[in-house]
Amino acid sequence: MFRSIHSKLRFWQLANHNGANANHSENSQSNLFDNLNKNLTALKGVFGNSYDLNMREFNFGDQGLTRGAIIFLSGMTDTAIINESIIKPLMYDIRLSSRQETSLLNNMSIIQATLLTVGMVQKASKIDEVVDGCLSGKTILLMDGSKEALVIGTEGWETRGLDEPKTESVVRGPREGFTENLLTNTTLLRRKIKNPNLTLETMKIGERTKTMICVAYLKDLVPPQLIKEIQRRLQRIKTDAILESGYIEQFIEDAPFSIFSTVANSEKPDLVAAKILEGRAAIFVDGTPFVLSVPMVFMESFQSAEDYYSRPYFASVVRLLRLLAFLISITAPAIYVALTTFHQELIPTSLLFTMAASEEGVPFPAMAEALIMGTTFEILREAGVRLPRPIGQAVSIVGALVIGEAAVGAGIIGEPMVIVIALTAICSFVVPSQTDSGTILRLILVILAGAMGGFGIGVGLMGTFIHLASLRSFGTPYLSPFAPLSTQDLKDTFIRAPIWAMFTRPRTIGWHDPERQEFRLKPSRPTEEDKS
Amino acid sequence: MRLEKGIISSSQLMFLVAGYVLGSVLVAAFTNTVTKQYTWLVVLSGLAVSIPLALVYVALTRKFPGKDLVQINRIVYGPYLSKLVSALYIWFFCSIAGFMLAYLSQTIKDYMMPETPLFAICILFTCICAWTVRNGIEVLARTSVIFVMIIIFVILITFFLLLKDMELTNFLPFFDLSLKDFIQGTHIMMTLPFCEIVVFLMLFPYVNKGVETKKSVILGLLIGGGSILIDTVRNTAVLGVASTIMISPSIESVRLIDLAEIITRLEMLVITLLLIAMFIKVSVMYYGTVLGIARLCNLRSYRQLVLPIGSIIVSLSMMTFDSLAQSNDFATRTGPFFTLVFEFSPVITLLVAKIRKLPK
Amino acid sequence: MKNRIGFIMKIMVCFMLILPISGCWSRHELNSLSFVVGVGLDKAEKPGEIQLTTQVVKPGELKSSSAKNKSSESGTNAYWNIKKTGYLASEIIKDFSHESSHKLYFPHNQVLIFERKLAEEGMQPYIDTFIRDIETRFNVLVVVSEDRASEVLDVSTGLEKLPAINIAKLVETQKITSESPTVKLIDFIRRLMSKTTAPIAPLIRVTGEGNEKTLEVFGTAVFKHDKLVGELNKRETRGLLWVINEVKGGMINVASSSGDGTVSLEITRAKSKMTPVIQADTILIKIDIKAEGIVNSQSGSENIASPDIVFSLEKKLSAEIGKEIMAALKTARDLNSDIFGFGDSIYWKYPSEWKKLKMKWDEVFPDVEVALNIDTKLRSTGNISAPAVPAKE
Repeated sequence: MFRSIHSKLRFWQLANHNGANANHSENSQSNLFDNLNKNLTALKGVFGNSYDLNMREFNFGDQGLTRGAIIFLSGMTDTAIINESIIKPLMYDIRLSSRQETSLLNNMSIIQATLLTVGMVQKASKIDEVVDGCLSGKTILLMDGSKEALVIGTEGWETRGLDEPKTESVVRGPREGFTENLLTNTTLLRRKIKNPNLTLETMKIGERTKTMICVAYLKDLVPPQLIKEIQRRLQRIKTDAILESGYIEQFIEDAPFSIFSTVANSEKPDLVAAKILEGRAAIFVDGTPFVLSVPMVFMESFQSAEDYYSRPYFASVVRLLRLLAFLISITAPAIYVALTTFHQELIPTSLLFTMAASEEGVPFPAMAEALIMGTTFEILREAGVRLPRPIGQAVSIVGALVIGEAAVGAGIIGEPMVIVIALTAICSFVVPSQTDSGTILRLILVILAGAMGGFGIGVGLMGTFIHLASLRSFGTPYLSPFAPLSTQDLKDTFIRAPIWAMFTRPRTIGWHDPERQEFRLKPSRPTEEDKS
Repeated sequence: MRLEKGIISSSQLMFLVAGYVLGSVLVAAFTNTVTKQYTWLVVLSGLAVSIPLALVYVALTRKFPGKDLVQINRIVYGPYLSKLVSALYIWFFCSIAGFMLAYLSQTIKDYMMPETPLFAICILFTCICAWTVRNGIEVLARTSVIFVMIIIFVILITFFLLLKDMELTNFLPFFDLSLKDFIQGTHIMMTLPFCEIVVFLMLFPYVNKGVETKKSVILGLLIGGGSILIDTVRNTAVLGVASTIMISPSIESVRLIDLAEIITRLEMLVITLLLIAMFIKVSVMYYGTVLGIARLCNLRSYRQLVLPIGSIIVSLSMMTFDSLAQSNDFATRTGPFFTLVFEFSPVITLLVAKIRKLPK
Repeated sequence: MKNRIGFIMKIMVCFMLILPISGCWSRHELNSLSFVVGVGLDKAEKPGEIQLTTQVVKPGELKSSSAKNKSSESGTNAYWNIKKTGYLASEIIKDFSHESSHKLYFPHNQVLIFERKLAEEGMQPYIDTFIRDIETRFNVLVVVSEDRASEVLDVSTGLEKLPAINIAKLVETQKITSESPTVKLIDFIRRLMSKTTAPIAPLIRVTGEGNEKTLEVFGTAVFKHDKLVGELNKRETRGLLWVINEVKGGMINVASSSGDGTVSLEITRAKSKMTPVIQADTILIKIDIKAEGIVNSQSGSENIASPDIVFSLEKKLSAEIGKEIMAALKTARDLNSDIFGFGDSIYWKYPSEWKKLKMKWDEVFPDVEVALNIDTKLRSTGNISAPAVPAKE
């Protein structure tokens, strides 16, 4: 009873607080004043005493009588454009024109239409818009006697140059990666898909950060319901800050409590372009190089862009290896624990005696060993990521050697366990996008194996399957092409069929426009008809 | 009014039926005590006899499209008698789910973990089944597609690995089976693995293309029956006369695989097989029970019933049989007649419907 | 929303309660089990009692004793033989917990040794526990020993550290000479369950004295139902194996056709087929044998590479094979136990006649006639054609 009263009180309190905020934002919806001084004072009040806010007042116009001012945040703007294309025409070039023309200059529209040699100029009449524009790196032009201001696009700031993505390196393929600038990212995408149907819709999410989000898709390829659904989910996000695409991912995903993610992310433009060309939509977030793509299916984590640039045999073998490595990484410790604790009859005899000899003096039961070693490995991995690079390698090597060798020598851990954990660790890095879900699955399976042996592992794996089968990502079943069985898509799962064999898009994703390429594109020797 | 918002395609139905039939691949072995080395013959004859029955089920559901068994009973038998008939069916589904769970937990306890109480195994397994049933028929169909592929793969692999231990003389002589044993064997085979697809009468309304149901069901039956045949042939060929005294010949024959000292001790494969196959069977029966009760009591959704029915099934599995001997005896003597009643009554329902010229 | 949290909390508490209460019942850590690799059953002094010997591995010693030979008499063996007496095998196995600190673990058992005196009294009461128990597996090798099984399990050899594994590998190696059968438990069971076919098992004994003890596998033990009634020596065993299609190799000596020494022929492949024919009141079993061999050595100096000589050698080989089979047949008739499986083959082909015959099989069996049809081919003469002697002019 007290709990219900308490929750009602909290709710009422929060609602009022939001109302106060709403009132506060009402004030800044007011319009600009006629008087330049009043405008400048109001804007200074909004911005406070920021040291990077520049207000440059100057006179221009009819005999230099009209007062005007530009306001910009240095550091966010490109001062060359401001100097050359805004101040210079206004202050200087006017003197070259005739008196009649200068008298017309009291009109902002005429200034916008004739004088400013900048690509993007818009009018604004509310203080809110002016502040927003300034904060985005635009320059504001105010004039005495005019209720409108001009918002001029002069963005220019320091960005990281194009670099190979650190988390996804390839042997063969383009080495460009996305950067933190939204415009650069969408440009990289445009360079891959030179098609007018490539639609980029933007919106701003985040009350305080006003981060630009851009949804990119091919208009004639993507089913319209998908775009409506994405927009619906993006628009219901009302939060303070969006700092990274991970925030957006956690707000729009289909199954927030599942350990598997239903939204894919990538740092490489060619990968994102390939996904868009299959009928998916990509979501760019300003300020991060990681671009989301929806919908996602489970097999995507095992496909990398590099697969498609190599020839089919090797790519198929690598695919199978990845699947095998993923399976090993989640089940190896559990199987070891189950076999040595419950089902010793399933180990071949000579191997069993070797293992028994190694485990002879070890004080811990197998499950405890597995958990200890697993935890140690995770700690090592995390430390390896955070260490500064000069020390990092040395410490991780020493850590692994010391912990592994010394622990075995002291008789705390058995040698087979160290081998199993090392194998698991290496295998877990083969499929990078599933490391987080893999770690948790491994833990659950080890506990189940320690409790119920092989039956526990069987039940755990079945439970995982059932969970995967029940997931949907934006309407697409997570286990396509296995679960709603579509045999034509199976050529891209365990094996990678040659490029000339993939005529159709995946059925559950690109069903709007299934045909990708023609038949009969397999290369062959020239026939008689070709020769003539 | 649909109790379940999911729709499955006809190919998923085929895999679901195949998986369901495969659920009894290890249970079917107890006919060895009756038919000795002719179990494979009896599998074939059981399959042949159950195909017409399956066609009857499909015809019944085509006659009343979009309606499941409880609703059909209501239309055909009237409001009062149908409640009794439907209740009996629901009890049948529930008890078969309990028997299967009992067999599974007994086998796992015997072969894998002798000291574990049956309770723990049953509970853990039923949790998984309950989770699947709660998620709906789509999840069930999707998982069964994958699991059926795994099961068939494992059956084929064990067959090929045992090729060198097989002796064809174990099948001789041909046809030295008395007619009485043959009929009894066919009866057991028909009722226990094959015709229990009567529970699919509860699931047919959720298939998207009703016209393809016949093909899916027959194909599913054939796939399941074929796999049972391969399994039985392998057991008889490898173990010979000894398979008649064994409780679980599949596991014993897989224990004999010994190739180059490395590919050995593979009985884990068979036991995993049993687990997966039985999971599909118990889940489908469980689902049929839950849907039936929801329909009978005019509930809007079946989700609240999942956990209670689960606990009933667990209790049933532990209470019904005191020992494996009793359950084997039931399965060979009483069980076939018990299940035949329920599997044959859709024929009577169809006849009555035809006579009364329903649906109007 | 708060309902959900409460629900989740309740489930978590339940799970956490389960963990300490339940414990893992079937959990056996590796160092709490002792792996049994060999089991031996002997007659004990008291009538009706048997002595069970189990050979248990000490894995730590297994690894460290790789450098030592069998010359170390001190107790750093990699195994430990435990002996106990009792009435039934099953109760003795449980009795071992009085002496062994670890639970005995049977799935890795390699060999089951029965003492001959015990086998003569009947194996059924003792062998049932090894079939019925779930831990024991069916590809265990069954062996009958002349001496006491506990002694046989104590003979350590130069090649293997564990005597039981040595025995198992020894029995498997008999395929080179095919003078002893390799009988797995499943084969033994199959013959036990048949009404007419008699079980067989290889015979083993300890030879040598003191530290020089070794094991020798010689011949077959012949049972009738479950009692041991006789034995076949090496030659007769091979005759038996010819008929039941189990010959995989072997060496047969024939006299050279020119009387100049003996030629040793090595069998490389053999296949046999048994066909029963019931005519009027006699039963005829046709045995077709196809064998292939190569010349292994020759003690004379003639050139045997000519087709005529090879042909005559083949005929001699067929005759030898026939003699071996007839020897086995004679012993089987004397012991009146159908080790060849004639009864089963009649059952397979003539099921209706079999129903009348099986009642009086004991009388019918000695009168069964056998027609042999042996076809051998000598595929090669080895590395050389003529022997390494000065060529004859």
